Amino acid sequence: MANTVIGSSIVIDGEITGDEDLVIQGTVKGKIQLKESLYVESSGVVEADIETQNIEVSGQVTGNVTASDKVELKSECRMVGDIKAPRILIADGASFKGNVDMDV
Amino acid sequence: MVDTVQSTIIGPSIVIRANLQGDEDLTVLGRVEGTINLTKTVNVAESGVVKADLTVRNAIVSGVVVGNITASDSVEITEAGRMVGDIRAPRVIIVDGARFRGTVDMGDLDAPRASGPLPARTVSSRSAAPIKGALPARGEVAKAKPLPPPMARPAPVKSAPLAAKPAAPATKPAVEAVTVPAAPIAAKKKIKKKVVVKKKGE
Repeated sequence: MANTVIGSSIVIDGEITGDEDLVIQGTVKGKIQLKESLYVESSGVVEADIETQNIEVSGQVTGNVTASDKVELKSECRMVGDIKAPRILIADGASFKGNVDMDV
Repeated sequence: MVDTVQSTIIGPSIVIRANLQGDEDLTVLGRVEGTINLTKTVNVAESGVVKADLTVRNAIVSGVVVGNITASDSVEITEAGRMVGDIRAPRVIIVDGARFRGTVDMGDLDAPRASGPLPARTVSSRSAAPIKGALPARGEVAKAKPLPPPMARPAPVKSAPLAAKPAAPATKPAVEAVTVPAAPIAAKKKIKKKVVVKKKGE
């Protein structure tokens, strides 16, 4: 796997930017800017403002999310913050509190 | 811990400006600026650029590191590696072709010598063996010869900042007279490394 993985015992406090997929199993605080997809896995904890193309949340996200394509909140995920994206999917079982803006 | 083989990879197009800490191996193919604090191994691959102070157990530098590395076990700069900064670690490996500018501090030069030659330490570095081996050995040295260690200490330290060649003949007899078996190895090793570093660096 050549893509980027933040493992479950890793804590990052700061800023992540990049042009490739990012998988978060650990903790990231600060800011994330990606041109590809972001996957917050079930062990992942993100306290950050996020700008990305796609985001798939199975873990915890606190912060505002802006996606140019799609935001997907899987079941079992917890998300607090505002979402701005043309496509937003919230699965049965997902917890979410915040504003949704699909730019309608 | 879900997986037994835990590893974090920072991909080639990723830039992290942050304080990063963790208890697993970290492979950097991209760029990290800030600080890195790990209880395991950081591996800076050839495409990796790290501008950070690192506190880790092991560091393997095949890419570029600008900053200081403090390692509880070892620091290795491979032939593709480039590093500017200071290294503090009991084991420092700089191979031919590596480029390095900075100071090396292997800590208390008496302690690691007592545990024997380097290959043994390298092989057993991942088990508990070197710790067990090192501690009794250290004790033996202290009991057998309480005076030599303080005498031996200044010798290698002096030889380092001075020109390597003139210092060598002066220190060697002094150390041998004191009959600390491992100290000459220390002096030789340091000198060798210095020479390699200077050739490549300038």
